[in-house]
Amino acid sequence: MDKGIFDAILIPMKVPAGDSYVYVLIKDKSLIKDVLPFPPIMSVQGAKAVSSITRLGKGNIKIAAVMRPCEIRATIELAKLEQTNLENITLVSMDCPGVIPFSDFIKDPEKAMELFDNAIKQEDDKIMRPVCQICDKSSMIAGDLHIGTLGAKKDTFFIISNSKKGNDVLDKLDITSKDSIDSWKAKVKEKTEKKQIKRKKTHKDLKTQMGGLDNFLDTFSKCINCHNCMSVCPICYCRLCYFDSDKVKYSPKEYLQRAENKGSIRFLPDTSLFQIGRMIHMSLSCVSCGSCEDACPMSIPVAQIFSMIADETQGLFDYIAGRSLYEPIPLKTYKEDELHEVEDAHD
Amino acid sequence: MTKALKMNKNTQQCILDFLKFLLEKDKVKGVFTLKRINKNKDVAYSLITNPDEISTAVPFYPLMPVNAGKLLSRFTLKGSTKKPVVAVVKPCELRGFIELIKREQGSLENLFIISSTCSGVYPLKMAIDGVIEKNLPEYWDMVKKGEISPDLRSACRTCEEFIPYTADITVDLLGKNDVDKQCIMFLNTEKAEELAKDMNGEILDKELDNKKLDKIRDKRQNEKKKFFDEIEKKLNGMDGLIEIFGRCIGCHGCSKVCPICYCKLCIFESPDSEYRPSNYESDLRIKGGLKVPPGTLYYQLGRLTHIGISCVACGQCEDACPVDIPLSIIFKKVGESIQKIFDYVPGKNIEEEIPLVTFKQEEFVEIEK
Repeated sequence: MDKGIFDAILIPMKVPAGDSYVYVLIKDKSLIKDVLPFPPIMSVQGAKAVSSITRLGKGNIKIAAVMRPCEIRATIELAKLEQTNLENITLVSMDCPGVIPFSDFIKDPEKAMELFDNAIKQEDDKIMRPVCQICDKSSMIAGDLHIGTLGAKKDTFFIISNSKKGNDVLDKLDITSKDSIDSWKAKVKEKTEKKQIKRKKTHKDLKTQMGGLDNFLDTFSKCINCHNCMSVCPICYCRLCYFDSDKVKYSPKEYLQRAENKGSIRFLPDTSLFQIGRMIHMSLSCVSCGSCEDACPMSIPVAQIFSMIADETQGLFDYIAGRSLYEPIPLKTYKEDELHEVEDAHD
Repeated sequence: MTKALKMNKNTQQCILDFLKFLLEKDKVKGVFTLKRINKNKDVAYSLITNPDEISTAVPFYPLMPVNAGKLLSRFTLKGSTKKPVVAVVKPCELRGFIELIKREQGSLENLFIISSTCSGVYPLKMAIDGVIEKNLPEYWDMVKKGEISPDLRSACRTCEEFIPYTADITVDLLGKNDVDKQCIMFLNTEKAEELAKDMNGEILDKELDNKKLDKIRDKRQNEKKKFFDEIEKKLNGMDGLIEIFGRCIGCHGCSKVCPICYCKLCIFESPDSEYRPSNYESDLRIKGGLKVPPGTLYYQLGRLTHIGISCVACGQCEDACPVDIPLSIIFKKVGESIQKIFDYVPGKNIEEEIPLVTFKQEEFVEIEK
């Protein structure tokens, strides 16, 4: 801001009560002393914060948004879905240690902060969100600049540019040194490989646990239809969800008919259909941030389930949500030659 | 005196027998009630048409997975049911439904309502690890003694409206010490008397034991005073509001589960509430720093204004809040203060119009002055 590169910074700050951290758009430099770039929780997914100020246009001021890698990836997905305009936004990420589930944090914010600091020092992630514990993209550079702390000497860090915007910032800051980031890369690779193994195992266990229709229904049996998972999801941007629309509202006669077919129906019916629908609608862009699971009042492991589905659907198209702004969303891309195995299955 | 049906068996069993009787005798075509839905014994509202499935119904289970008023509204949103259906709901759920009917979001036609004097429910959280299941003996003990368990929803612990107003049938539960030996169903309407015709049992002239219920109400009032005093200290002024609502994540889960919030598109999710670059740029010039997304407090105050008059204090909002904001007490307190001005009890009387849509030439002259 001093150099006039940015007019404002979007960054988390503690709320007055001290029991949360929220995104704040800061123009007044004196406020910067109160920010905490990597807070112990993710209250609102950063992509939602960026979208809330750029959905209707790019504006006239240059903004640096400091967020976690999964928040940046979601922001990029939203840009592809035309829900954000990144022209005047520079995305800055850092190596992410994960976040603590909100419900654990609010029980005792001070204690949680202490635990969080210790967890980072000891590189121990067991207090973090379950999806953070299996995140293999915690250092993925998808934005413009990345601050690497892994593999750096004590009290130093790497600033890694990933775009022309990023290069411009470094130029204006007169940062020209070209130190090798090999030590960062090596450390990231080591961490990623470890997490990938854990991720595969968790997903495999989950699949065993909830495979088949009965287990699937049981998994969502406690769902209360609040749709919190959808409201906090950075990808679910529809103003009116299909599952809240008139399409899913039936006449008493139809409800009774459905009940008569089976002897009884759960009311509302289609609770699990909502979950399946959401999986189909957004899993190609799911960044496994874990916001859905944090917001679920019934503690259903939504994020773990969705991360499992997302890996499968994205894998099918060799796509990683938010990896690159220039990689088109598979469902919007037509290729004459693809998915023959599906066609063949119907021959 | 009201007609009452007395059966000498466990009350819960009697209600199941009665529901089965209604289906078997073709008096109703469907039963809407809480029911166990799987082998894990999870409980959800269900619509039952097969009498054999009544055995897994748990009409008075101390859980409100969804406010049933909202569900009955969904059931009758596209028109009243042509076939008779009986619904077993809690008093606040019934009041929520009545408020929705006043807003043209449902219909009572061909619906029979069974409710009970209500002991309250446990928070949804306690359903997660089967805690409620373990607590059931303790809960029924509490029902018999008319006591308040500290584990119940704060909305229930402080609830004075535990007697249903407009139910066709009221089941005597709260403070009834022989609830596991005898069942009393008050037949409040002609419809109810017709339904109960030919059901095994004895018809009596009887009233609820109001003396006993008044004592229970006193206990709840004391509890309410404690909660209100505490929240009043915290809610003090703008700073207090920011302290309390500062951790809101804007999921709007409270509005999604609220039986009164029926808008298809909430104004706070509409284009009206979107931030244009010109908005935040001018805000930034004035304030130097802004929370984004904006409008956290505005949303809460807006919802208080929009639904306060009809809030039935069911506590569903608080249970759905992922960040544990004490919404039910805040909404109850503000709701009651608005309702008092108009001498209005939401859901008490279907004929009584909602004050905000009623014009009276002579009112609030003190404000005009």
